[in-house]
Amino acid sequence: MEEYAREPCPWRIVDDCGGAFTMGAIGGGIFQAIKGFRNSPVGVNHRLRGSLTAIKTRAPQLGGSFAVWGGLFSMIDCSMVRMRGKEDPWNSITSGALTGAILAARNGPVAMVGSAAMGGILLALIEGAGILLTRFASTQFPNGKEPAEDMSQ
Amino acid sequence: LPAALGRGCLGRWLLATRGWAPLGARTPSCTCPRWQHQAPLLLGAARQSFGTRAGGLKAAKPGDSSKDVSVQRALNEETLVSAAQKVKEAGRDFTYFIVVLVGIGVTGGLFYVIFKELFSSSSPNKIYGDALEKCRSHPEIIGVFGDSIKGYGEATRRGRRQHVSHIEYVKDGLKHMRLKFYIEGTESGKQGTVHVEVKENLETGRFEVRYIFVDVETYPRRTIVIEDNR
Repeated sequence: MEEYAREPCPWRIVDDCGGAFTMGAIGGGIFQAIKGFRNSPVGVNHRLRGSLTAIKTRAPQLGGSFAVWGGLFSMIDCSMVRMRGKEDPWNSITSGALTGAILAARNGPVAMVGSAAMGGILLALIEGAGILLTRFASTQFPNGKEPAEDMSQ
Repeated sequence: LPAALGRGCLGRWLLATRGWAPLGARTPSCTCPRWQHQAPLLLGAARQSFGTRAGGLKAAKPGDSSKDVSVQRALNEETLVSAAQKVKEAGRDFTYFIVVLVGIGVTGGLFYVIFKELFSSSSPNKIYGDALEKCRSHPEIIGVFGDSIKGYGEATRRGRRQHVSHIEYVKDGLKHMRLKFYIEGTESGKQGTVHVEVKENLETGRFEVRYIFVDVETYPRRTIVIEDNR
């Protein structure tokens, strides 16, 4: 039952933050490479240099942005798990909404509500996809019926 | 470690929010115009694309306006060119329409799944929640595990334990479902496995509990019966 010797929750924050940073940095790097390549003057040397400059400027920003989102989301998620005492899809949806709200806090309350709605809907979609995948993967191994009654008192 | 992380994240937050906050409002020259269709599957791309979807669509528009000008000029000259361009434009609109339809279908499907999971009374998650509430208010459980009891399901590779293992089967024409989840109390080292079985009640259409057992993982293994309606 317990493969880990420790609780996943506080350590999961570091995990998620780092994972999000890597995703943002790599994805941003690829994207900025192509964009910098295309927005440079003709000539491969110019293009490569433009590509490299774009990567150096923008990819860390994107990575940092993603890392903030991931780290904040995971922190709120772990706090909710601790408070509620059970692990639910509701935790993820509420965490997504709160993360969106907090990250838009500098733009006033209306923007916070809109950002919260976006974050909540996004996380709901991701949770739905996760549930679908789990159900799909579990039906791949058909088990038939459970044999007998469970043991009694 | 968490304190240093918080400070580091705060520094990057101040730097990143300036880049993040206008990201939803800025229109052209933003990221990923093409990724909105895979939004449910790519976590990172989905975050960005959700904020800039308007930017992506707007970025596709200027091409059409230039085509409008050329179509009007063609009307003055020859009708053949405008017919070919109309066919091309219709083809392009059709492809966009199909893509939008596919996107809406996928999103609608995901919303349906998540609503059914969270709000329908016959979803495993709901049954797990009810069983956990019953466990929490049972005096024997409180005696063994302590006051605040937390419940969780199977661990996935990332460490999130949201999935509750369940099996559905049909017996005598009625649907049964068996669940298994774990509870843990404040006293360290005390873990328990909860087995729940529910049976469908044909009149009300809801699931009613058949039994709830809790196995305590102490050395003389105890089984606490919370409810038994067999």
